[in-house]
Amino acid sequence: MGKIQRKGKTGASKTYITRTHAVRKLQLSLGDFRRLCILKGLYPVEPPSRKKANKGSTAPTTFYYTKDIAYLAHEPVLSKLRQHKAFAKKLARAIGRSEWADAKSLEQREPKYKLDHIIKERYPTFIDAVRDIDDALCLVHLFSTLPSNDKLDPKLIAHCARLSAEWQLYVMRAHALRKVFLSIKGVYFQAEVMGQPVTWLVPYMFTQQVPADVDFRVMLTFLELYQTLLGFVLFKLYSTLNLVYPPPLDEAKDELAAGVGAYVLKEAGELDLGKEQVAEGVEKVREGDVRRALEGIPIPTEAEEIEEVPPQTEGEAKDEPDEPKELPSKLAPAEDSAPEPAPTPERVNTSLFSPFVIYISREVTRPVFEFVLRSFGARVGWAPSLGSGSPYSLEDPRITHVLLDRPQVPLGWVREGRRYVQPQWVVDCVNSGRVVPEGAYAMGEVLPPHLSPFVQEVPGGVVDAEGGEEEMDDDDEEEAAEDIEDAEADEEEPEEASPTAKPKSTKPKLADLPALLASASDPSDPSLLRAAELEAESLSLSHAEFQALLKQAIKRANASPRAQLKKQDAEAEEERGKMLMSRKKRQLYEKMKFGNERKREGERKLQRKREALRREGK
Amino acid sequence: MAAAAAVRVPAVNGTKRKESEGTESSDGEGEPFPELDPRSDTVDEEDEEDNDPEDESDEEEEDSEEDEDDEQDPDARLDRLIAKYSEKPDESDPTEHRAADPRAPKIVQSDITGFPKKVYPDIDPVYDSDSSTEEDPNRIGNVPLEWYDDLPHIGYDIYGKRVLRPAKGDELDKFLATVEDPTSWSTAVDKRTGAQVQLSPEELDIIGRLARAENPDAEYDPYEPMVEWFTGPGKERSMPLSGRPEPKGRFVPSKWEHKKVMKIVRAIRQGKITPHGPAAPQQPQFYALWNTGDEANDAHPPPLVAPKVRLPTHSESYNPPKEYLPTDGEKKEWEAQDPSEREEDYLPRSHDTLRQVPGYDQFISERYSRQLDLYLAPRVRRVKLNIDPESLVPHLPSVNELRPFPIAQNVVFPHQARVRAVSWSMDGTWLVTGDEAGTVRCWEAEVGKCVWEAGFEGPVGAVEWCPKYDFFLIAHLAWHNKGDYFASVAPDAGAGSVYIHQVTRHSSQSPFNRMKGSVQLVSFHPRLPHFFVATQRYVRQYDLANQRLVRTLHPGLRWISSLSLHPSGQHLLVGSYDRKLAWFDLEMGTRPFKVLRYHSRAIRGLAFSPHYPLFATASDDGTLQLFHATVYADLMQDPRIVPLKILRGHEVREGLGVLGVRWHPRFCWCVSVGADGNAVLWAN
Repeated sequence: MGKIQRKGKTGASKTYITRTHAVRKLQLSLGDFRRLCILKGLYPVEPPSRKKANKGSTAPTTFYYTKDIAYLAHEPVLSKLRQHKAFAKKLARAIGRSEWADAKSLEQREPKYKLDHIIKERYPTFIDAVRDIDDALCLVHLFSTLPSNDKLDPKLIAHCARLSAEWQLYVMRAHALRKVFLSIKGVYFQAEVMGQPVTWLVPYMFTQQVPADVDFRVMLTFLELYQTLLGFVLFKLYSTLNLVYPPPLDEAKDELAAGVGAYVLKEAGELDLGKEQVAEGVEKVREGDVRRALEGIPIPTEAEEIEEVPPQTEGEAKDEPDEPKELPSKLAPAEDSAPEPAPTPERVNTSLFSPFVIYISREVTRPVFEFVLRSFGARVGWAPSLGSGSPYSLEDPRITHVLLDRPQVPLGWVREGRRYVQPQWVVDCVNSGRVVPEGAYAMGEVLPPHLSPFVQEVPGGVVDAEGGEEEMDDDDEEEAAEDIEDAEADEEEPEEASPTAKPKSTKPKLADLPALLASASDPSDPSLLRAAELEAESLSLSHAEFQALLKQAIKRANASPRAQLKKQDAEAEEERGKMLMSRKKRQLYEKMKFGNERKREGERKLQRKREALRREGK
Repeated sequence: MAAAAAVRVPAVNGTKRKESEGTESSDGEGEPFPELDPRSDTVDEEDEEDNDPEDESDEEEEDSEEDEDDEQDPDARLDRLIAKYSEKPDESDPTEHRAADPRAPKIVQSDITGFPKKVYPDIDPVYDSDSSTEEDPNRIGNVPLEWYDDLPHIGYDIYGKRVLRPAKGDELDKFLATVEDPTSWSTAVDKRTGAQVQLSPEELDIIGRLARAENPDAEYDPYEPMVEWFTGPGKERSMPLSGRPEPKGRFVPSKWEHKKVMKIVRAIRQGKITPHGPAAPQQPQFYALWNTGDEANDAHPPPLVAPKVRLPTHSESYNPPKEYLPTDGEKKEWEAQDPSEREEDYLPRSHDTLRQVPGYDQFISERYSRQLDLYLAPRVRRVKLNIDPESLVPHLPSVNELRPFPIAQNVVFPHQARVRAVSWSMDGTWLVTGDEAGTVRCWEAEVGKCVWEAGFEGPVGAVEWCPKYDFFLIAHLAWHNKGDYFASVAPDAGAGSVYIHQVTRHSSQSPFNRMKGSVQLVSFHPRLPHFFVATQRYVRQYDLANQRLVRTLHPGLRWISSLSLHPSGQHLLVGSYDRKLAWFDLEMGTRPFKVLRYHSRAIRGLAFSPHYPLFATASDDGTLQLFHATVYADLMQDPRIVPLKILRGHEVREGLGVLGVRWHPRFCWCVSVGADGNAVLWAN
């Protein structure tokens, strides 16, 4: 006889632990537990059966892996948090007793935790860290623009500003920027760092509205982690470019709002270089490449070399953040994580603007455009009101382009050989990878639509950047769909066209003209045609209208039976197939069909709108 | 002698109790312990010489003198000893002389020898009050006294003589004694002797003190005044105990303490000791955390990476293509939606120039909700099927390959009520239908002409044409295919619900003594003498020749509605009101080979085609479903079932659609009857 199995001793009830239980086990406050979860990257899990995991209860709770919590119990930060709790009590007591000297000495000994080990633990390799800095960059850029108040330390904001500037300096120096998108939420940037796409969002330069329902304790905990993470990542990135980190700040320039120009990028000394080589001999090779690329020396083997650097993406799945989905892991076979297309190492012209000297006018946001332009090799000058340190003044003859965002070019500004463009020109150039003609972006022109560079248009469908592919299925189905669309479009056509000629209320519909329909079904019969004409006369339709209607009816009569028959056949075939499927498969099939249909419906809707607009435009 | 003892006792110890004068032994008790004299023999000798007790003191004096002499002159002492022992004792009148001395021996004539002998008086050892030496007349030792209860004596004295039990008066005497004797309250019985002992006043006093929990010693004074030996006036000490002067160390700072302090001071000066513990070594805030050789820890599976934020599409642009801008209706719809239901969390907007783009008010909220997702949302690895849905659909042969089968409605045979039953004649020329109004009509099938009609009282539920002769029966029944036998069913008649009738002999028999469940349908096997009985849930196959149950089939259906045997007799179709169709391969087992559910309402009827590999099912959803069912001779190959066509021609009335279906005996035709009052012939 085997060992007696007791309920709740093995299996799901041991694998999972509820949050309340975990907090009690760790003897923490909920706030400290949250802090620890954020710092350690601990996330809840969904057990296969909530009932089994929670001792038969189905109450809504959050579950964690018991082992995760057990690991948490040994966390050095946890003991620091406990020490801090004791410290806070002592300090409060000292202050309460007005023992100021004690309080001061206590305060000097405040226990503080470090996150270095957590960073190393969460991101064992540098690539892991680079893959996960999107959120960090977004948050740091956001906080660098927030106003300080009693909750937000100015030092914290200064540090965020510094980190964001350092990041931009790196991206500019390494020419890593790939895509820019001016959205209604802010400006999206995408850079390629160590072969990884890194995307971040920078808000437009306005004072942020802080909603009341945002818990800043959560945000600050995340910020704490992200500051440390970014610091270490930047250190590594700077050292790959052989730069000193942190870059020294020129206080005087900073006072004059020089922006990123206030930081001085210094190459590391020879001695340091030697050290680096000993420590990281492998990376040194790549550094050399980068430097050569920076110097702009044309190397014939550049393309091959770049391609040799493997695109280190093993299919990173991206999805809605709220919907958990398949993620890459070592456990999953490579085929499973295949859907994500590996980003092709495109040839990016990083010296796109290198022939140009571009002057930024005062109404254009300098930080964004200076960053973009300098990343692509432009020499940039700006209006004095945007900060000091501009290498070019407006009168400088070397200026080739002026970024303006006003209805017309001011009178005195016009000079021979200068182009005046709106800021969208810069972004469109970057996204298209070439210098687009400036004509469409001149002052007062209606700008061409600004498209997202993250969506890739492919013939016959859309591949968005998330890797979700939408393809047309079979040829005949497509044909059928086209037929239907044609019919619909034709139906719409008179509707759209006629209002100009006649009020809509008097417009007859095809369904109201049975004789016309009969004639259309057999156009060769003159008697039917005659009857249709009489009918049209009775409805006081003009000859042109009658002819149009007839043409439409004939087309419909020709098209629809074929389409309908095909459609019916397809449906019948589908029905036949479905009959022999198991219920599970049938449901799966129907779900997939439904999903595909919804996607296609969205596309069709867009297509219809586009058509309508096109016709309106005509 | 007793008197002499009594005289001496008080002189020795006044506190000793006085024993009763009558007993000799108690006499001795009171006497004190005499001084032991090592030379007692000599003393005796001397006593004999002196015969004077008063001389004792003298002699002592003399002894002391002698002692002194011993020290002084041993020769003189020797002389005296020689003189003493060489002198002849006086033997003139020993008796006379002895009479005065109580310790002198008496001269008695011996009884044995007859000579006179000296008998010394008993030596009174004068033991003190120690009870261990107390003279007890009863010398039995420490044995239980009840051993002597039955005997006249209570023990033995020192001479071995019996100590007789003292005379004990009866209870009356005792009582009288207590009344008469005023001292009787102070007497007690001595258990050793059994005698009444009168307690002395001192003893009574002791008993009284003990009873009052006082110290038994009457002379003990608990409240004696304290004797002050060292304190009190006049007894103070004016001088210290020690006259040593105070040492220098008491006035000079400690050298060793100074050394210790200086050690700490030097350490502080050198920075070895800091005020609050050792200072942490200054490390740069950021350093090279990752090295080139870093590898992920393979011991544990890596945590699930949080999915990245969805990248923006064209509609999020500040200047999107016009088709992405929402119409007024879409705007309203979006605003009416709950924020959690919205597909996009923003409304596309278009701005003419970049300077007109306002700040995005949801920026912080969106970052915050992303963070909440990061640490609060459970992460699950979900396998996303990225396959073509069409690949799930089984590949079916084209319908055209499987012709012929009925495809179109050919002839309609109308009735006024729901048509429940239909049957073909054996050559397929005639058709008989029966409706719920009790009308039975016979039609010429190809032209749809009613050739005969009859009315009945109740509804006609079943009509079956005899397969052998040209007549039909109107009942719930099944024909044997040779046409001689038919079986009838009365569903709720218990054991008699099934009867098998023989036409030629005009006889009937009930094959079952008892029947489990209510019988729904019966059917004959086309070739073997087997008989199928379907109850509500099970189908049983009986061997009629051997009268035994062959097998019970478990279709797993709730309520069997219809049953049809394949012409080969090896396959069975069972339809049910719960919309399912079960295909049994009778050789395979008792569970269905395939269960299909494709009708949206209950299956009412089904039938195998007698000549073609076809079967049809009729359902309450108003449709007739045709299937192609190929059965292979090879036992290893499963039958192939292919759906062919859905025939729609009947209307659904009051929840009832097509109620039955029958195949033409020869052609690829079938006829269906429906609740709309029509029987329809379907032809290819």
